[in-house]
Amino acid sequence: MVLSEFAGVSMPDWLDAILRIIFIVALMTIMAFALIYGERKILARFQARVGPTRTGPIGTLQSIADALKLITKEDVRPITADRWAFELAPYMAFVPVFLVFVPMPFTETWFIRDLNLGLLFVFAVLGLNIVGVVMAAWGSDNKYALLGGVRAAAQAISYEIPMLLIVVAVVMVAAGRLAVDGDASAAGSINSIVGDQTTTPYILLQPLGFFIFIIGMLAELHRPPFDMPIAESEVVGGYFVEYSGMRWGLFFLAEYTALFLLVVLASSLFLGGWNWPFGADVGLGLQIVLTLVKTTVMIVLVIGSRALFPRLRIDQLMSFSWKVLLPFAIVQVIANGIILSYGGADWVVGIVSFGLLVALGGLVYYIMRRKQGEGARTVQTTPATPRVITAPEVTPVEAGGD
Amino acid sequence: MEDGVTATQVVFWILAVVMLVSAIGVITAGNIVYAALFFIAALAGVAGIYLILTVEFIALVQLLIYGSAVVILILFALMLTRARERPQALFGRSRPLGIAAALGLMAALIGGIVATTWTTPESSSAIQPVGLQTIGDAIFTIWIVPFIIVGVLLSIALDGAIMLASPDEDDN
Repeated sequence: MVLSEFAGVSMPDWLDAILRIIFIVALMTIMAFALIYGERKILARFQARVGPTRTGPIGTLQSIADALKLITKEDVRPITADRWAFELAPYMAFVPVFLVFVPMPFTETWFIRDLNLGLLFVFAVLGLNIVGVVMAAWGSDNKYALLGGVRAAAQAISYEIPMLLIVVAVVMVAAGRLAVDGDASAAGSINSIVGDQTTTPYILLQPLGFFIFIIGMLAELHRPPFDMPIAESEVVGGYFVEYSGMRWGLFFLAEYTALFLLVVLASSLFLGGWNWPFGADVGLGLQIVLTLVKTTVMIVLVIGSRALFPRLRIDQLMSFSWKVLLPFAIVQVIANGIILSYGGADWVVGIVSFGLLVALGGLVYYIMRRKQGEGARTVQTTPATPRVITAPEVTPVEAGGD
Repeated sequence: MEDGVTATQVVFWILAVVMLVSAIGVITAGNIVYAALFFIAALAGVAGIYLILTVEFIALVQLLIYGSAVVILILFALMLTRARERPQALFGRSRPLGIAAALGLMAALIGGIVATTWTTPESSSAIQPVGLQTIGDAIFTIWIVPFIIVGVLLSIALDGAIMLASPDEDDN
């Protein structure tokens, strides 16, 4: 739909398909260049530096220089590495991510294919990415790579579940709203979900959903504060520690592509994609700008989180997913089911979801406080100083902070 | 069939070859991680067959559940054990018993397939793709009780696994 309409000519199916593939690969490469440059610049600003400045005007050619370096670098394979797993892993990590591009709507008519099961497709295909990661981890014959790969697999499986459940909750809301127009079965297609958000972006209806989706997204992408699989200080770079040159580049490209695509997905599901706030009649030019603006804002948030939050521990990460996010996601699905089947209004859905978000925040705050309190108690049990001098008593509140 | 091969048939045969080769790979690969990776390819082939049968939903669920989650869990367990070393004895004393069981299963399956009278639709247009909503309605209205029972069963299995795996605090 994209290209043949754009060029104004009809072409055979196979040519159309090839052109679409070329289009995706070209766009994603450019996008990865832009993201690498953006990440370095934004991160630098957070850390009171200026980032790359020497290559090209204000360092804009830095990514191209990086890519050239990667291509010309020697491709090393450790002698004890498992040949097939090691060499095929980058492709297994890279191809599924590119497939996710297919149902992403950039404007009302610009997408590769508007799949009726688009949302399911995204998660089904993206999940295969982890196979490549695991292959790399195991094939490298390196204990740090293996540890990183195991962490990545555990993390991906744990965070996929709350994320999928929350997408189910969003689809429920979308189906309820689309049923008014008479076609609830279109709720699995991302484009029709965006099409429904002319006046109300779903972040107002499912604020908890947005929150869980963003956290799950950061974890799936191994972005800080969830970057345990690739943490330099713990596992020396994780599953791609033995890779060099362009094979390493493929992992990197896959990661940035996944970042871009999940951010587009998040802005389509929750921020109204090309639709809100101008509506569908605004025309192609503004719609693509709208998508890109929302995407850029979210990318800046994601990159910012790398500079703002310290890394969690792996056990904290796992218990946060299984003990906090998953129950809340299930409660959100059940709540949506009850409200929608009794014909509740949109604002009821929104308020309930917001209430759940506040409850989640409160719970996490309470747990953190209680942990701090425990710390303070252990300090209290240490022998008290003899009360010889009447000094102002020191309260052990600050002692437990870590 | 004789007059021209359709694209679907070509795709089917490609998938069939991929599935067969990887299925043989699963059992002949000496390395158990290789076996798991071949298993992914075989399951992906099954997903492809589902796509040909126009049941996209089942195909995607196949990829989501088997292609990533289940196999990743298998690999996860293998990688943390000493799976890299080749198993000492792939065949034990029960080898003839295993061969007999495999041949018996194969005979039963082939017999079942041959004995069944398959209803062939008149043309490919007679096959109606099943919509997601139909599946959802069926699961959550007609078959809701079996669905809940399966859910409870799986939860119990999960709880049991956790009970077995968690260290017993009372004993020591």
